[in-house]
Amino acid sequence: MTLIKISRDELLKPLQAVSGIIERRHTLPILSNVLLIRQAKQISLVATDIEIEITASAQTEAAGEEKSITVGARKLLDILRALPEGSEISLTLQEKRLQLKSAKSRFNLQTLPAEDFPRLAVPDDESSKLSVPQKLLKTMINLVQYAMAQQDIRYYLNGMLMVLDGASLTLVATDGHRLGYIRRELAGDSSPRKEVILPRKTIIELSKLLADTDEPVFVDISANQARFNFGGISLISKLVDGKFPDYTRVIPQDQPKHLRLKRQEILSCLQRAAILTSDKFRGVRWVLSNGSLKIICTNTEQEEAQEELDVDYKGDTLDVGFNVGYLLDVLNNLTVDEIDCGLGDANSSALITVPEKSDFKYVVMPMRI
Amino acid sequence: MPKRWIAHLDMDAFYASVELLRYPELRSQAVVVGGRRAHQPEVLPDGSRRFALLRDYAGRGVVTTATYEARAFGVHSALGLMKAAALAPQAILLPADFDEYRKYSRLFKAAVAEMAPLIEDRGIDEIYIDLTEVAGAQDTSPGNPRVGINAIARAIKARVHEATGLTCSIGVTPNKLLAKLCSELEKPDGLTVLTHADIPARIWPLPARRINGIGPKAAARLEAIGIRSIGDLAAADRLRLTDEFGANYAAWLTDAAHGRDNRPVVTHREAKSLSRETTFERDLHPREDRETLGAIFTRLCEQVAADLDRKGYAAKTIGVKLRFDDFSISTRELTLAAHTQDAKIIRQYAGQCLKKQPLQRRIRLLGVRTGNLCRADAVPRASQPESGFASQLILPLSNP
Repeated sequence: MTLIKISRDELLKPLQAVSGIIERRHTLPILSNVLLIRQAKQISLVATDIEIEITASAQTEAAGEEKSITVGARKLLDILRALPEGSEISLTLQEKRLQLKSAKSRFNLQTLPAEDFPRLAVPDDESSKLSVPQKLLKTMINLVQYAMAQQDIRYYLNGMLMVLDGASLTLVATDGHRLGYIRRELAGDSSPRKEVILPRKTIIELSKLLADTDEPVFVDISANQARFNFGGISLISKLVDGKFPDYTRVIPQDQPKHLRLKRQEILSCLQRAAILTSDKFRGVRWVLSNGSLKIICTNTEQEEAQEELDVDYKGDTLDVGFNVGYLLDVLNNLTVDEIDCGLGDANSSALITVPEKSDFKYVVMPMRI
Repeated sequence: MPKRWIAHLDMDAFYASVELLRYPELRSQAVVVGGRRAHQPEVLPDGSRRFALLRDYAGRGVVTTATYEARAFGVHSALGLMKAAALAPQAILLPADFDEYRKYSRLFKAAVAEMAPLIEDRGIDEIYIDLTEVAGAQDTSPGNPRVGINAIARAIKARVHEATGLTCSIGVTPNKLLAKLCSELEKPDGLTVLTHADIPARIWPLPARRINGIGPKAAARLEAIGIRSIGDLAAADRLRLTDEFGANYAAWLTDAAHGRDNRPVVTHREAKSLSRETTFERDLHPREDRETLGAIFTRLCEQVAADLDRKGYAAKTIGVKLRFDDFSISTRELTLAAHTQDAKIIRQYAGQCLKKQPLQRRIRLLGVRTGNLCRADAVPRASQPESGFASQLILPLSNP
């Protein structure tokens, strides 16, 4: 029976949207498949890694019989990509095979039954709801996501804290060396306080899939999962079951030393200095004295880079080391012209903020060099 | 379905043959590899070389390889060198140079890989090769249905010889089990191509213990019930075998005797651990020989670090193995906070492992093992070890 007749591009778009979460090697073979669900005038594509499930749909003109089947996602994706743009394709079920035809090309693909495809159950408990412009959520995520831990034994750091409180949304990520914090007020009703940790992979996927539009993303948070609906895509993610550390305690208050820096200027200095760092050792020294900030980098081959910036600073001299990667991350992801930098001594954290604003904070611990 | 062709390639007297490349004057002599550095040939003033003789050997090393000429005296791998000296006192003794053997191992594997990419690495001197899909493997001619596969096997042998100057023996059959048996049949410089039809004539006369998987103990038990050859085993009553060996092993024995084996050629296997160990020339005392031990220990760590680097791994677990003068073995290991390839870090943690060992007895063998491996390019950045003099300070996150 014919499953669907559709243009390549119409099918490729939702397939690309869902297939990002499919693990390359998995013990359960069906997890490398994509579930195709034909209902009336649409076809839905579902992919899962058991922690996250993404659904995206394509519309067709003709209505068709309801039918579901799963087929290898990678192969389907590669075939569609390789077919010429704008070509028409048809998917037909023949016993246990799925036949894909397009002009004079024909592929017979193995399938697995749709009933065996693991779906995430939709919980029936109370959930908190909010809607945010996609662009806003994407921007917020990108401002802090690089600070998430990866494969840390403190599993609750391998993700991002999301706090809903009143009419505000706060995102926090930390890997134990640095911490990113962003808070924005939302339009709409205020909701009771809710704190959840979203897995790292969910955040990375959201950052890829969210579009730069003012169209909303509807977020639905229940006890153990979060659902995101936007632009024809539905992403369901399990939550990380754990308690995020109290981030407010590590954001420094009343730092003795302050300087304002031009973001592009300091970024360029650090990028040049970073050329001499190695993968194993990424330390750079900041030497701050009256009117001047020197950035010095030396490596194991005794090479040295030095950069100097004129700064509006008056006070004690400070010599402090940082992992240059942690500084480049924040400077690359901010879009403002100037940043404020608060410093203590060589053993206390630095705080990077945006002038006249209190909604973004980036805390980074120094390195002893 | 194309006909499955699996080759087993075994280098002929590998270590000894590599040595003969270096010392061509030793060709057609009985040569045994297994000595220590002290047995390095001496260069005489006239430019010729004086080699150590097996009869002068004193110690407890074992034969790692013997040339076919030495094997004629009954010398074989793993035989004690003193015992070998009793059999072939005039044989020449050479020290083992594993770096050189590894070099040639890489050369011959690379040469084969140019012709047939599906290779299962079975050690320094042997590989399985899946030739099924190699172009031409399925070619037949009216008089000779194996003309294609024969040509490919010959071409592989020629390419290996061209790349290394060494000969190898190849068995080509429909599976790994038969291929392994067949590469032995016409050693050295052999080539044997068999199908299932040849099993009664070529395989059944062989002793049962030649099957990879029937060890000395199983062979003795088979012999006790009157089974000597593989043919005897093929004809044996299955129930009798089941009584003797249990259902699983009996089923495997019957399959093996009939040349049935479906194991795939496994082209890629991630290493689980990498280690280096050494047996001392005399047992060393932890206190009295502290300096000697320390130097050897450091060298082992450096070698392991170099192995990790060459193979592209980083390790998170460091362990130490000791064998004492009473042959008892003791191991200790530690897991690090982050993956490392650094010899200094390995030495530091291996040292801590050593401190946890009981050190009353003299030590016969010392080994350093690294485990919990991860591809070096896949080590998460957050867990990169900081170099010795710098350290990243951590945020005072409260423990929830």
